[in-house]
Amino acid sequence: MIRPKIFARLLSVFALITFAGTANAEPYLAAQMGLKCVQCHVNPTGGGMRSVFGNTFAQTQLAAKKIGSDEDLWTGQVMKFLSVGGNARANYSFSDVPNQSSTNDFAVEEARAYLDFGVIPNRLSVYIDQRFAPGNSTNLEANIRYWITENGAYVKAGRMYQPFGYRFEDDNAFVRQMSGFNMQAPDEGIEFGFEKGSWTTQLALSNGTAGAPEVDDGKQIVARTEYVGSAWRMGASAAFNDTDVGDRMGAGLFGAFRVGAVTLLGEVDYFDDDSIGAAGRKLMASLVEADWKVLQGHNVKLTFEWLEPDTDVDEDEQTRTSLLYEWSPIQFIQLRGGVRMYDGIPQNDLQNRTQAFVQLHGFF
Amino acid sequence: MSSQFNKLLACMGFFVPPVVLLLAGCAGDGTGLDANGRPITDLPGANGDFQEIQDTIFTPVCTTCHVGAGAPQGLRLDAGNSYALLVNVASAESPGTLRVSPGNPNASYLVQKIEGTAAVGVRMPANGPPYLPQDRIDLVRRWIAAGAPMTSAPPDRLIVTSTIPAVSEAAAPGLGKLTVIFNANVDSSRVSVDTFTLRDASDQPVRLAGVRVPTGRQNVVELTTAAPLAAGSYQLSVHGDGPAPLAGESGHVLDGDADGKPGGDMLIPFDVNAGDVR
Repeated sequence: MIRPKIFARLLSVFALITFAGTANAEPYLAAQMGLKCVQCHVNPTGGGMRSVFGNTFAQTQLAAKKIGSDEDLWTGQVMKFLSVGGNARANYSFSDVPNQSSTNDFAVEEARAYLDFGVIPNRLSVYIDQRFAPGNSTNLEANIRYWITENGAYVKAGRMYQPFGYRFEDDNAFVRQMSGFNMQAPDEGIEFGFEKGSWTTQLALSNGTAGAPEVDDGKQIVARTEYVGSAWRMGASAAFNDTDVGDRMGAGLFGAFRVGAVTLLGEVDYFDDDSIGAAGRKLMASLVEADWKVLQGHNVKLTFEWLEPDTDVDEDEQTRTSLLYEWSPIQFIQLRGGVRMYDGIPQNDLQNRTQAFVQLHGFF
Repeated sequence: MSSQFNKLLACMGFFVPPVVLLLAGCAGDGTGLDANGRPITDLPGANGDFQEIQDTIFTPVCTTCHVGAGAPQGLRLDAGNSYALLVNVASAESPGTLRVSPGNPNASYLVQKIEGTAAVGVRMPANGPPYLPQDRIDLVRRWIAAGAPMTSAPPDRLIVTSTIPAVSEAAAPGLGKLTVIFNANVDSSRVSVDTFTLRDASDQPVRLAGVRVPTGRQNVVELTTAAPLAAGSYQLSVHGDGPAPLAGESGHVLDGDADGKPGGDMLIPFDVNAGDVR
């Protein structure tokens, strides 16, 4: 029998050997390391609870400094068949909207807990993602996941985030707002996933109501596939939502590559939404992100986003530029701060606001 | 072959971020647009507090997400749908609470969401801060306390503001219900199957089985066809003329032809797509 201390060291060494850079829960980290999302998250499409692997890495590679002894490694497994995890983000933010008084406030951006009941280890799990703040308790994900072949193909049913593009931490990114596929709007349905070699592919069928009760017989189909190389990756997404108020279809292309300490990501999405107004609307959004690993535990993130809310209307485009610094001084703690500058049509003050924030992010 | 394919993908992967950057552009200069980024038109609209709420809150702030089929919780807050989906409609997130309970701001889920006191979910707007300025929240409270009217004063005319299906829209196969939304409450005693005429592409009348004004939504009329509509083109007429003209609670007869005077029929052409009825 392997003693806990030796097991922890083995995990640590394994993580050190496997990963080349730092890690967190964002797509750029997967791109930086040449890994799939499923490597560090129990959810094959990323986000939410971290796996034993992800937790080990967070302690041994992510932070600038690890405090505590090796045998104190947190794996998330509190007992043989049960793993827990969580995220909490506390913000101090400043907002300046033209022609309005500036505001600043402290707020809990989110406090979430994850439970994963691995009733058949590595094969069958019941997973719950519950948000406790802000507001009262809200269920974000509740699903049953069954790996038909271990680490090969799976089926997931219940409430879940839909697989489309990169699952950025920032739900307010234009590509996540415009597409509607973000971590604020899970949907209920079923998802099939395939993990083979360098490929990761998902196909999901859901109500297409963004979490609301079904109101018609139409359903939404979302598909995503990605080739994950060691230094580069590329993928495509497509979605079709059939509703009584109009069909909505979209597609996206996304990719990333790493050059030294810098990782570049890009995504562009296009949607043709007949459910908006009488004539429908065609929308487009894009994002380019550069992440520079200054030192272990230190990351500079520069993001430029562009939104075309209606391709048939000229001069209505919006941009959003963000510069963030992320510092992980010790394991499971991250201090983030930065500025986001919005630029839009001059007659809309909100489209020209500036925001600054400092965030303390705790996770496990 | 596989190696060449991987090399091709690699090249494309390297090019995605730069290409995305090239696809992006600058912010628009807003020429010819209103504050909501929509082309300036001279279409008539409603007036009063609700229109101000629509123009200064729902359209510029909320429709970033709450629009179209993917609107969170099915709540579409664009100008054509917001009123009908808010007033006296149960919240999808908290079904025991009305989104807008006329006369009772504290019990209205809309107020709870924008003030951050709702029992479920995050404070709106979800991308806040900034949240709504207090004067905008006060406007919503004042409107609800006054009974959540579509207009702050009785309008000087009754017009159709939106229909489902919309004008020239292609509806899903099997359509059996039509919805007409007005700028003010209608006089339900003057609503009957004779107030509306539905004709197919060969100008033959299509029988309407029922007409009703939903409880608490006096500005909405729902029509039910005797059978699901076959694929083809149709035209719904809402009568402001003839033996059974529609009128509002204030007594104004429908201005159907939008000439600024009572009278005239509002014509709503639409199609029903072919396909299996789900």
